[in-house]
Amino acid sequence: MTMALESEMPRRRRDPLVLLGRGYIAAAFVFLLLPITTLIIFSFQKNQYASIPGQGWSLRWYEKLFSDGALVAALQNSLIVSPVAATGASIIGFFAAYAIHRYRFPGRNLLLTLIMLPMLIPALILGIAFLGLLSRFGLEGKWYSVVVAHIVLVTAPAMAIIQLRLSQMPASLEEAAWNLGATEWQSLTRVVLPFTLSGIAGGWLLAFTFSFDEFIIAWFVCGFSPTLPVSIYAYIVGSADPSLNAMATIIFALSGLFLLGVELLLIPILIRVKPGATAEEAPH
Amino acid sequence: MSSVVARPETKRRGANLAKWISIGVPSLFFGAFFLGPLIYLILLGFWRVENYRIVESYSFDNYIDIAQNLFAGSNYGYAIAQTLYVAATTAIAAVALCYPMALAIVFAVPQRYQRLVVLLAVAPFWTSYILRVYAWQVLLARKGVINAALSYVGFNEASIEFLYTQTATRIGLIHYLAPILLVILYVAINNVDRTLIEAARQIGATRLQVLWRVIVPLSRTGIILSLSFSALVACGDVLSGSILGGGAGQSLIGKLPLFADMIIRAYTSSTNLPNTAALAILLVVIMLLILGVAYWLTERFRINVK
Repeated sequence: MTMALESEMPRRRRDPLVLLGRGYIAAAFVFLLLPITTLIIFSFQKNQYASIPGQGWSLRWYEKLFSDGALVAALQNSLIVSPVAATGASIIGFFAAYAIHRYRFPGRNLLLTLIMLPMLIPALILGIAFLGLLSRFGLEGKWYSVVVAHIVLVTAPAMAIIQLRLSQMPASLEEAAWNLGATEWQSLTRVVLPFTLSGIAGGWLLAFTFSFDEFIIAWFVCGFSPTLPVSIYAYIVGSADPSLNAMATIIFALSGLFLLGVELLLIPILIRVKPGATAEEAPH
Repeated sequence: MSSVVARPETKRRGANLAKWISIGVPSLFFGAFFLGPLIYLILLGFWRVENYRIVESYSFDNYIDIAQNLFAGSNYGYAIAQTLYVAATTAIAAVALCYPMALAIVFAVPQRYQRLVVLLAVAPFWTSYILRVYAWQVLLARKGVINAALSYVGFNEASIEFLYTQTATRIGLIHYLAPILLVILYVAINNVDRTLIEAARQIGATRLQVLWRVIVPLSRTGIILSLSFSALVACGDVLSGSILGGGAGQSLIGKLPLFADMIIRAYTSSTNLPNTAALAILLVVIMLLILGVAYWLTERFRINVK
């Protein structure tokens, strides 16, 4: 089937419909990448307002970004909140994934639903709900209030990746550990945990990305220690100047690095879904 | 084989520890910090504010207030109508734009490059949404990049007013949705059985007929999923509506804000949490109705092949 299609390729290459399709893909990529490239280009331009033609290259907006400090301080906040939230989500996601993978217990489906639901409920609703309960106990407006809310939000993607990795673990691996006299806890920490480590790392990256980008929940609960998206929002609504472009370029560079990490960690897990095919990866 | 395995159930201590921690930690956390806030939100909707303090006495006051303000005062009803209109048109436009792209990837890109193209198309999803919305503001502004570029190449008259209309809102939303829809639609189209396409071609169907009679019907689950997902995201989104739509953006049905934007504004101007909670619950009800329609559509057009 595939062979037949491949052999058709030379004929298809001159096919106008194929050319049209490729043209459409190219146009779509222009649309998808236009906003990102625009901000990167204008972060290095002298002009105050983004316009064409530019007025020459300069680093003045980067200097202004670091001398103003508001966005940088928010970035520092985010670089505390998101890693902590991602770590919390990975720990809870690991336990949840293992519990669902290994045990049959009452409320198993309920637990799965509870963890998945925050990704489906609009963040606006969650933000109001978190603010309501946290302010009731005087816990709103602290840096850890965003962390707690974000852990609830981003455990789902972390758990999904860890579940996928767990499903690739041969059952014989754990059974062998038990036969050798390990308790369940020992086999969990010394056999299962090392095997799922790549899944946990991938899940952590995914959780970090979602937390780092999250706006509306943080807007409701962060108080006076805004995360980066909240600070960016205030900047846009107030008087946006091109130092925001400079911050955007830095964030895009960071996202690029993360994308690389996600690809290196996640794609191997996603491609190899068949269980049992990974026996050679048994931990030592 | 399993008879050889010494189930560690005999070592009760270790067994209990692993089981209770792995079930207990996530259950307790989500019970306290997810179920808790949700239940509190529902209760909050029935309470009210007196002298800037929340009074925990149950009444339907907030909902009665919202009902009275549907088409008068705050005009929640018009905002809901605007949200439904923008969500529906965004969903249709997003699928109409992404479907040909997914189709082109499956049929116009050699198999070994397809995954790479999808991966690259998804790349913008991993960067900050609020920065992409801001970038569209820079692009679409009256003196923004697109108008500047147009006048630079000679269209002096072409100063298009994009920003602060619901068209701009839709552009921001579609840019957010496109990577996700591409994955859904690519998988849906890729899963269409190639032998059915070959067979249709053999018996003389034109390519347009194959598309319309074979590929589209067989990928309809993906289409319905994309439509409902887009509509739900558009209903709950705040950023595109407030930054690109400018709050009350112009659309065919009028210069009206989106409901989500109205909730935010209602909260910032009054900080009346019980009333905001009631509005949020109304939004949940609207979205559940959309989900209901999506479910009905899926059942109605269920694929009966195989």
